[in-house]
Order: sequence, then structure tokens, then C-alpha cells
Amino acid sequence: METYFLKNEDLPRFYARISQDYELYLPVKAESPVKIKCDYGFNLPTDDYAFKRHTPDGARDFIFNEYRCIEPIRAYLANFKEEIGDYFSGAGPAPEKPLAICGVKNCDLFSLRILDFVFLGGEQEDPLYKKRRESSLIISGDCPGFKESCFCRAFEINPYPSEGFDLNLSPLNNGFLLDIGSGKARGIIDSLSAILTPAGAGQLSGRAAKRGNVINKLEEHLRHHQIPKKETLQDIVLSGYNSPVWREQMRTCVECGGCVFICDTCHCFLLADEPGAAAHKRIRVWDGCLLKNFSRVAGGANPLRMRYMRLRNRYLKKFDFFIENLGLQACCGCGRCIEVCPGKIDIRYILRKLHEEKYLPAA
Amino acid sequence: MKKNIYQPLEAVIEDVITETPSIKTFSIRPKEAFSFRTGQFIELTVPGLGEAPFTPSSDPAVKEKIDLTIMNVGAVTSRLHALGKGASVGIRGPFGKGYPLDQFQGKDILIVGGGVGLAPLRSLLFSLFSASGNYNRIVLRYGARTSGDIIYKSSLPEWSKIKKLDIAVSVDVGDPAWNGKVGLVTAVLDNLPVDLANAAAIVCGPPIMMKFVTLKLLDLGFPAQAIFLSMEKNMSCGLGKCGHCRIGKYYACKDGPVFAYEQLKNIHDIWE
Repeated sequence: METYFLKNEDLPRFYARISQDYELYLPVKAESPVKIKCDYGFNLPTDDYAFKRHTPDGARDFIFNEYRCIEPIRAYLANFKEEIGDYFSGAGPAPEKPLAICGVKNCDLFSLRILDFVFLGGEQEDPLYKKRRESSLIISGDCPGFKESCFCRAFEINPYPSEGFDLNLSPLNNGFLLDIGSGKARGIIDSLSAILTPAGAGQLSGRAAKRGNVINKLEEHLRHHQIPKKETLQDIVLSGYNSPVWREQMRTCVECGGCVFICDTCHCFLLADEPGAAAHKRIRVWDGCLLKNFSRVAGGANPLRMRYMRLRNRYLKKFDFFIENLGLQACCGCGRCIEVCPGKIDIRYILRKLHEEKYLPAA
Repeated sequence: MKKNIYQPLEAVIEDVITETPSIKTFSIRPKEAFSFRTGQFIELTVPGLGEAPFTPSSDPAVKEKIDLTIMNVGAVTSRLHALGKGASVGIRGPFGKGYPLDQFQGKDILIVGGGVGLAPLRSLLFSLFSASGNYNRIVLRYGARTSGDIIYKSSLPEWSKIKKLDIAVSVDVGDPAWNGKVGLVTAVLDNLPVDLANAAAIVCGPPIMMKFVTLKLLDLGFPAQAIFLSMEKNMSCGLGKCGHCRIGKYYACKDGPVFAYEQLKNIHDIWE
């Protein structure tokens, strides 16, 4: 892989060049009321980041995010609610400027494998997702830090990307190493040759050492959570079908849907109509299996009528359905669902409990 | 540009037949060429309100129009029931795999319907009739709540004239006008004129009916791979993307809606 060094002071020029061709989103610090602190003495950051559209005068706000942003990447590829059809012109969606999303992390890149399977796989492709996925530029970055809720390494996902991006930024000394992961940004890279120098062996080994340090620290953190290994996930959710953990955890669920809407890998949606005076629109709107009417059929029967059934369904989908059909668990360890939940329902705890019930049965 | 999988195609209601107080059959004519295989389903849209999945009840060999037998139970269906001839609706599809006709060849075919669940089975019957040489014998068992809830009332006497077809109908609750069998549909499943070693059973009806029929068929000696069930859930996209109709490792929309019981027997709570 080609790798260059880009100095800090040249970053605005790099962004400005990308925004000529793309609608560029960059991370900024965000105010969030959610601050989960570590309870065993690790001093972990609690800052939050959100994506913001690039404007030349807003350049000062943009920073390199230490870890993932609040929003999942699918919010940019399959919007929360958007028009996907009509009666009956068949005109199709309006053209869009291609997206460039910078500040994407390796957990988010993992989620793209799930989303691609859903929206591009099967017999037919989702036309809007396909268009955006093909035209967008994914600019990922290493995670020099992590939050209390981060647990990517529990599933052997690294806190730095090695594939699946177009460009990747790794902070190093007074700048960044820039990996070229695809040919998509070739023209942009060629036009920036004045500010890019080929990375030296010392710089690459320096990055490898930094990455190793983050992994060591993250694994030390994860030891406190005892999250089961990914090879056991399908087995423990299937054998835990009648586990008490589903009911126990759902006592505090307020059915807000936060977990499913903030999730990197959740993908469910509903096709619905939006009535209009002149013309009705067909929309695709996110749905989630923790919401009461997710599986309700006409006439009122609801196979997932109890909250514990819905929680269990979500885990079966993530750890049985996806492992069975794709060979990957639909969880990237981003921990967004842990932070967003007002009921403090914690995926790490549930998986640990399921594992304990199977392998350490009570005497 | 490639076809937009979410874009409905316009169809016009050409005829409406009242089957029972809560069930009507709509005959619709798509404005563009549209075809389906028996057992596949479509998404039918009431513009401005939304869509719902239905399996056509007509002969797939008839291309210019599609019959849909629909019970008034929800938001979309109650609006549909208020629509008449000439109204415009949308359709998407067809979706799913449909009935595996190739697996039925040379066999005794047992068809068990409950209530409005006879609708997709009527489409299957038409397909079987048109290639009846491929099948040994066709046995239809149909159960409805009361005699007033029986659909295709005018077709049933005609069908009973077909030599290869053996029909029995039961109603859960009898009334003075009903001379036939009273009891759940499982009551007409004894002494079936089929060779169990060379038979396929196709079941469609409400979940509770399918559950007890399946248990009965297993009891009679039907193997799990010879029992075919219509698992119609709340499919939205129809293409295995929206996530609503998951059954274990399958989606009812793209892997079904017809499944062999063999595929489902180890999945929890399939009758919910």
C-alpha cells in the first residue's frame, strides 16, 4: 500500500482539495450529556465527536477524532428517512454530489461489510445505497484513544484500519501518515504531490509501535469486561434462548429505539408512504426490532410482543443470522448502544452472562 | 438506469368480488407486463397509505390480470376494501420462491387451507390443474370458521367435478344451513386418500391452524421434508433487506414464503 506523510499545517489544503470533488464531512467536538467513566481507575477520555459539513471558514473546528463519532456511518449511506419512489413517474432520485466522510474508524469500516451484504447483496441492490457507496470517498483514521464503551478488540477488530477505506490517516508526530487504499482518490493524491512525501521506514515502524500501544491498553481495559470470544457468540445466543438475562435486562428498557438507531450494523427499515396534496411519496425510513410494532402483522398479532423477546431477537439477528449467512457477527464493538441507553442495558454484560450460563452453570 | 426495486408499478382494479363479509377478491390489471410463479407474493400499495404483502390467488398462466383475495384486517386492507372498480393501486414484485412444483411431480398432493389461507392455494390448484398429468392425485381439505366464512363458494362445486381432485370442507362452528362436517380442519385429515410414501402436503392458513395441521400430518406419518408451509410475516421490502420477516437464518420474503417444515423444525417459536 502506498503511504505518504502529510504535515499538520497542510491538512486544511488536503481537505479543501477533497471538497472540490466531494461533499466532505469532518469530525468536530460535540457536546453530549453522556459521560461514561471508567470505574476501576483507568483514565479514559469522554469527549464526543460528530460529523460536520466542511466549509472553508469553519476549518478551525475540524479536529482529528481520537475514536469513533457519535453517528453511525450508515446515516450517510442510507439516510434515516428518504424518498425512494413515487406514484408512478419512476423519475428516480435527484442527483447528489458524492460524499467524502472523514473520521471513520475501523469499527465503522467493519459495519460497511454488514451493510454491503444487506444493501448490495442478494438478488437486487438498494439503488440509493449503491450509488452513494460507489461514489463516496471513505477517509478513515487510526484510533489513538478509546472510550470506556469501546470493545472492538474483543471481536478481534483492530482500533486502526488495514483495509476497506479509500484513504486512511494515522496521526504521527507533527502530521499524519496517509494510506492510499483504493484508486478512487488517485486524481486528488496526484494533485497534492507538493504536500505529500513518501513515508519512511522509521515513520512506518513508529506508527506500528503506536498502534501496538493502543491495543495493549485497550485489551487491559477489556479484561475487566470479560467479553466472550467471537467464535462462541452464535453458540451462546442460541443456547441462551431461555436465559433469564433477556427479561432481567429489559426491566429498564424505555423502548426509545436508541440502541438500534445508533448502531453501526443495524440496518432494518420500513417502506412507507408519505401522503402529499399534489403527489404521494414512497419513503424508506429506519425501523428497529426493539420497537414494539416491529414484527406486528395486520390483524394485531405480534410475534415479538414482549420486550424480552425483542431484545433476544436483536441478539439472534446479530450473532446467529449474520454469522450463519455472512460468517461475521453484526457487531463491531463500537459501544454506541451502551452509551445511548438510558436504561443502562449493556451488550458486554449480556454476552458475558450468556457465556457464563453456558460454561459456568450455577452449582 | 437499473430498475428501482422500491418503485411500484401502477395497476387498476378491474373487478371486485365479495367472498364473505370481511373478504373480497380484487382483480387487478397491471399497466406493464407482470408475471409471477404460484406461491410468490407481491407488495400491494394503496397510494399515500402504504403497502402490504399478498400472494395472488389467480392462475399464473393468466398474465394480463392478477386476483388477490384479501381479508379486511388492517389499515391497508380496510382502505382496499373501500376501493372499487377503476381505482389505481401499486404493485411491486413478485417476491420469494413460490411453491416448489418440481418437488410435487409424480406425487399425491394434499392441500390444506384455513380461512383466507385458501387464496394462495387456489393459485396453486390452477397450476396443478393445468398440468394434472404430472400429479397422481390432488386432495383438498379446507376449513373455515363458519359456513359464511367459506371463500370461492362458486368454485368449490365446480372443482368437485374434477376427477383427480378429492375435496372435503369443514367449519369450526356449524349452523342450520350447513350440511357438511363440523370441526377444525384437522377433523377432515383422517383416512386421507394419499400414499404417504409418495406425497406432499401444502398448508396455508393462520399460524395456529398451520401448527395443529403440521402436528397432525407428522402424526399421520408425513415426513418433515414433505410438509410445505406458507410463513407469511410482515414483509416490507420483499428482498431480504428490511429485516422484518426473519425466521431463524431465513427471511420469509426471499427464502420463502413457502418453507418445508424440515427447514423450520429446529427454530424456536415459529408459530408465534
